[in-house]
Amino acid sequence: MVKSGKFFRKRSMRFHAQRLPYGLINWHLLLRRTVFWLALISLGLYALWPWLPGTQAARTRTIVVYGFSILGEVMNEGIFPAFQADWEVQTGEKVEFISSFAGSGTITNQIILGVPAEVAILSLELDALRLVDKRVLPGSIWRDLPHAGVLNRTPFIILVRLGNPKNITDFADLAQPGVGVVHPDPLTSGGAQWAILAEYGSSLRRTGDEAVAFEQLLGIWKNVVAQAASARAARTQFENGFGDVLITYEQEALYDLARARLKAQIVYPHSTILSEHTVVVIPKNIRPEQRELVDAFVAFLWSEPAQRIFVEYGFRSTEEELNASNPNFGVIPEPFTVSNLGGWPQAKRQIIETIWKERVLPEIGR
Amino acid sequence: MNAVIPTRARRTTSLLPVSILLVVLLPLLLMPLASIFIFAGRGGLASFLDALIQPDAQFALRFSLLIAFATALVNAGLGTYTAYVLSKYRFRGREALNVIVNLPVAIPTVVVGTSLLLLWGPIGLLGQLLEPLGLQPMFTPVGVLLAHLFVTFPYMLGAVKPVLDELESTYEEAAYTIGASRWQTFRFVILPALRGGLFSGTLLTFAHSLGEFGATVLVSGNLRLRTQTAPLYIFAQFEAGNIETANAVAAVLATLSFVLFFVLLQVTQRQTERTG
Repeated sequence: MVKSGKFFRKRSMRFHAQRLPYGLINWHLLLRRTVFWLALISLGLYALWPWLPGTQAARTRTIVVYGFSILGEVMNEGIFPAFQADWEVQTGEKVEFISSFAGSGTITNQIILGVPAEVAILSLELDALRLVDKRVLPGSIWRDLPHAGVLNRTPFIILVRLGNPKNITDFADLAQPGVGVVHPDPLTSGGAQWAILAEYGSSLRRTGDEAVAFEQLLGIWKNVVAQAASARAARTQFENGFGDVLITYEQEALYDLARARLKAQIVYPHSTILSEHTVVVIPKNIRPEQRELVDAFVAFLWSEPAQRIFVEYGFRSTEEELNASNPNFGVIPEPFTVSNLGGWPQAKRQIIETIWKERVLPEIGR
Repeated sequence: MNAVIPTRARRTTSLLPVSILLVVLLPLLLMPLASIFIFAGRGGLASFLDALIQPDAQFALRFSLLIAFATALVNAGLGTYTAYVLSKYRFRGREALNVIVNLPVAIPTVVVGTSLLLLWGPIGLLGQLLEPLGLQPMFTPVGVLLAHLFVTFPYMLGAVKPVLDELESTYEEAAYTIGASRWQTFRFVILPALRGGLFSGTLLTFAHSLGEFGATVLVSGNLRLRTQTAPLYIFAQFEAGNIETANAVAAVLATLSFVLFFVLLQVTQRQTERTG
């Protein structure tokens, strides 16, 4: 292509040198310019198309939702369309969802910095408490929502390669030398904080011995080979071939299992934590005329149709009887929640800060 | 002009160095780029187009193009003006200003994003003053535009200022002596000489804006259908494990960059031929 360009240019230069008689047109130059401007204009038209007058559909109302990483599919494919249909039947209005999905810590930081989120679904209540700390929320207002703001749950499980080549049966096996663990980063991922509670708490519940639990947590973290920004990013890393095991939400695995594309195997620990995901409404970002719509959406999240969608996508509903409809939920003999560890503020202080950050991290040299 | 063309005597000996270069470049540059297109083609055209017509993908591409157009437009004006002032006026602090306006080249784009947040964000120096007025540039298209203007500022300057510096001042002086105003001199003497530089500078700005990631990821809030640019979309989809979707947009972005680069190459070649 470059060659032909050169050829043409030489020719056109020759024309120049000969001094084109007046009235004769340099067709090549003209063609090239026309093509260039046509391409530019069509590119501009393409970019502007949805905003051109006449092409715009009737004005739609919008809700801005920020969610933690693994919620992407269930919200985009399930909950949003369901609510859109519901709202249109009720009011005749179209609703558009403006959404962003990333690690729970990431979106919490973004909300603190001022992104216009009206509703946020956080992986853990701790991030909601941070919003109170930073005065984004006037107080623990999510506790007034159904189930104290807990939308759904999912236990933390171990994902291993097909055939379980490393013979992993429980969290304790992850501390064995030679096992490569892919772990999300607790700095930005809510899932990572749940995982730490699972790794420590499962041993604590079985043995009741803090020293043993510490050894298990330390052993697992010595084996961490990759840290990703969110639970979803960690799964992508694992799928791309990093490590031997991934500690993640059961939902992540079930979603793929239901679509017959899970290229790994689930190992259910004897005891593990059920993560509880918190819905937060952010009043300062909601204009008065939006209030009714946002409230309707939040109420819809706990409605039976919505909860059924969550179950279908592998989340465990807060309404226990709905969970029977998903046959893939595994059995966990001894599940626990963060309230068994004294609630998030205490668990954060005693386990994540004092044990993981101040004792485990220095020991593994990070 | 024919005399400038290098002799072909050494051609036979160039086989070895050229093959070494190719062997090095193949895994370093060519294969990664090719893999985007190979991967895009693997699922078939239907699934490729299917990934592209997703509303999010369409929005991301359009939004990126609009921001790139706006950035190119603003910086073409601002960059040319800056180049003109720095080149034609002598004043104290000119050297310092010259360094400052070129600074964005050296600053990591993530730092640009951070600095913008710390200025315009709700906790920022100016942002705190704007907040009570209900103005909030960050996490809106305005924030993205601000970031892109910052990051791409030096490209226009780099394309235009050298031409201005080289420009014979005799033409301008001649224009002044026959009574042309500063504006007339600029419009009819300087601007025509700048055409090539203006064009390539604008194109460079456009291309860089199209691919900007580091600063955008911080200031945009990454909202789909509102502030998500094409590179952010690719990153988000890739992180979410939707590699085909991410790759489809990546292929489009890569193709656009190739075309832009090709046009740029043509223009600069023509310029050097003209001046040389």
